[in-house]
Amino acid sequence: MGVLDLLKGKFVDPTYAGVHGGGDIITTTVDAVVKWGRKSSIWPMPFGTACCAIEFMALTGSHYDLARFGAEVLRFSPRQSDLMFVAGTIPDKLGPVLKTIYDQMPEPKWVISMGVCASSGGFYRSYHVMQGIDELIPVDVYVPGCPPSPEGLVAAVMKIQEKIQTSQQAGAPQGAHRVGANGEGMYDRRARRAEWAKDDAERRAAGLPPRGVLTDLKPEPEIDHGAHHG
Amino acid sequence: MASAALPALSPALLEQPAVRVLSEALGENLLGASDFRGEVAITVDRKAWLKAVSLLKDHPELDYKLFLDLCGVDFLDREEEPERFVVVLHLYSVSKKRHVRLRTPVPEADPKLPTLVPLFKGANWFEREAWDMYGIVFEGHPNLIRLLTHDAFVGHPLRKDYPQGQRHVLKEPRKWLLDVPHGSEHVVINLGPSHPAMHGCFRVQALLDGEIVKDAEAEIGYMHRNFEKMVEARTYWQVIPYTDRLNYCSSFMNGHGWALAVEKLLGVPAPPRAEAVRVILSEFSRIMDHFVCISTNVVDLGAITPFFVVFRGREKIYELLESCCGARLTVSYVRIGGLAQDVPEDFVARCRETLDFVMDAAKQMDELLTRNVIFTRRFRDIGVMSKEDALSYGWAGPALRGSGVETDVRRDAPYSGYDQYDFDVPVGTTGDCYDRYLVRMEEIRQSARIIRQALDKLPGGPVIVDDRKVALPPKSEVYGNIESLMNHFKLVYDGILPPKGEVYGKTEGANGELGYYVVSDGSKHPWRVKVRPPCYNNYQAYPQLLKGGQIADAIAIIGGLNVIAGELDR
Repeated sequence: MGVLDLLKGKFVDPTYAGVHGGGDIITTTVDAVVKWGRKSSIWPMPFGTACCAIEFMALTGSHYDLARFGAEVLRFSPRQSDLMFVAGTIPDKLGPVLKTIYDQMPEPKWVISMGVCASSGGFYRSYHVMQGIDELIPVDVYVPGCPPSPEGLVAAVMKIQEKIQTSQQAGAPQGAHRVGANGEGMYDRRARRAEWAKDDAERRAAGLPPRGVLTDLKPEPEIDHGAHHG
Repeated sequence: MASAALPALSPALLEQPAVRVLSEALGENLLGASDFRGEVAITVDRKAWLKAVSLLKDHPELDYKLFLDLCGVDFLDREEEPERFVVVLHLYSVSKKRHVRLRTPVPEADPKLPTLVPLFKGANWFEREAWDMYGIVFEGHPNLIRLLTHDAFVGHPLRKDYPQGQRHVLKEPRKWLLDVPHGSEHVVINLGPSHPAMHGCFRVQALLDGEIVKDAEAEIGYMHRNFEKMVEARTYWQVIPYTDRLNYCSSFMNGHGWALAVEKLLGVPAPPRAEAVRVILSEFSRIMDHFVCISTNVVDLGAITPFFVVFRGREKIYELLESCCGARLTVSYVRIGGLAQDVPEDFVARCRETLDFVMDAAKQMDELLTRNVIFTRRFRDIGVMSKEDALSYGWAGPALRGSGVETDVRRDAPYSGYDQYDFDVPVGTTGDCYDRYLVRMEEIRQSARIIRQALDKLPGGPVIVDDRKVALPPKSEVYGNIESLMNHFKLVYDGILPPKGEVYGKTEGANGELGYYVVSDGSKHPWRVKVRPPCYNNYQAYPQLLKGGQIADAIAIIGGLNVIAGELDR
């Protein structure tokens, strides 16, 4: 079996009918090749906060082995990653941190909300816990469970690969279909999202950089080395 | 209370050294003492708070040197309490193996109390937490600012009149934790809350001179998900799933501790088979927790092989837990008075097979690390904690034993039949990272010893107590006769109704003494539950361990403290 056989059927582009995937020559579009490469080499950023992060470790560990999906290069810097796993409860204190890290990821980017706490606050309906990360950032795949099984996460990664293949990405904050999202009640997602969007717009209008870009770093003082060299 | 006569203390109470010494020294400022379920609780006037605590700590007959816990309790609209707030302090004497609880009422109109920071270094964060949660002001505290909640928070959430779901939105996190002098040439470096070496979400800021840490300060609360507020609205068994998510590396042990605390409050012990299974699964959980701690610690230092080796073993333990209760991580397997259901038929054989596999993994890790030159150079004489400071900070478990304090709840206050098993308590000598590692490795071996003994004499019989006020009747009876149906209905509807009182149930968690301080008002909801989280005290000392060391050592130290965010911030 040659390399070309292995690649057979991988570079299908629905917008271009002239795909020829057999024999000695494959004809396709650059777009299809790029998407194939992108989905086969996801660099996840684990934003692990709580119990879910432990199951995430099981996913990347030797038994479940996320490397089989080409996604084993965990990057703890958001600037080097394209998929964020939000694994665990996000309390209000962590909200701005989550937003900062999401903003620091380069486009295109995807987000998996792992577990019920990240998706809806879970059974922590209380004074310091965000009721779903989609109050702040868009989410592509929600994985249920407390914590989700590693199999569930593998399914989520495959969903993300599908989305990459079809160029889908969560454009706007979602979750409007969920209970409590209609703007009534104690946990008003829409109001919260609108508030954050307004906040971002105000920052832009005031000429401020987005959150996460450090502005008040003190310049290093000039040190006079001259006296010592002589 | 100035004109009140001396409280009448029974002779049995006066036999307790703590009560006798305090009543002689404080006179009328001792407001009362009680002995409930074998726990001594002393109430003093707040005028004598400092004097009472320093007596407990320094009196040669008492010697309560280990700081355990300090918390507030809100007795809103409770007639029997003279004031709204009560501050409760738990201390332990390692030499005398005694535990004491000291309470003092604090009025709502003037919620002030002198700080204990000069006496116990560990009191710092506990007092900040009590201020954050209840608004009790500790006079003379060096840094009384919000600890668990964020800076935009308004109010004190654990007060009974604070609505459970009232949130406040934070837009900007706290930027500087340290005072950086103007024009300083030092560099401030910020680790966390999202940092690969911070397992979970906590933060530390260090002031560097070259690579030497000059000053450091830690911040927590990034995983504060309100365990203590949530459980006040739950029944006693509904708390079990919440306890699983405290220290999620060894979930089973948290539920075990909770069940024991409530069983102590009720005075209903679990049957022997349930206790033996609890011991077996707790020790497996301890092994698992130590595996995660050590392997992720060395991953941060660049050694990834042990991680892959022991995670296969951990996966085996997960399979064992899954075979018992259906869940891998958050097991919710214990019940008040026993276990949810009996273990599978092949439990003993399964345990033996798992244990062999796990101990093989532990042996491989031992071979990879213990004599590894790079490893020992990164760990030896790094993050040294003296015995005195460890006690003052209230350290616990492997960290405390690494500093040379020989104490273990399993041996000193045996629960669940630990007195039937033969095991050693490893103790370190220098209190550095390497000692903490060695203590953990030896504890893995001792846990295996305990498991083998427990498997050899695993008793038969029921796994849950036959008490219709505590445990649900079996389903066959619920569908078979009207009495059991009514018992079932009443228990589900009314919940477990414990007597009024306070208990402090303690177990040896993987990280050390895990305590649940439960206040019951006789209703189906606990009035107040305070978790004594072992890694809270451990992490509190982290900035001190950093000072004077290299910044690279910060990563080696943090992993060995095994800070678990869910338990740290609750």
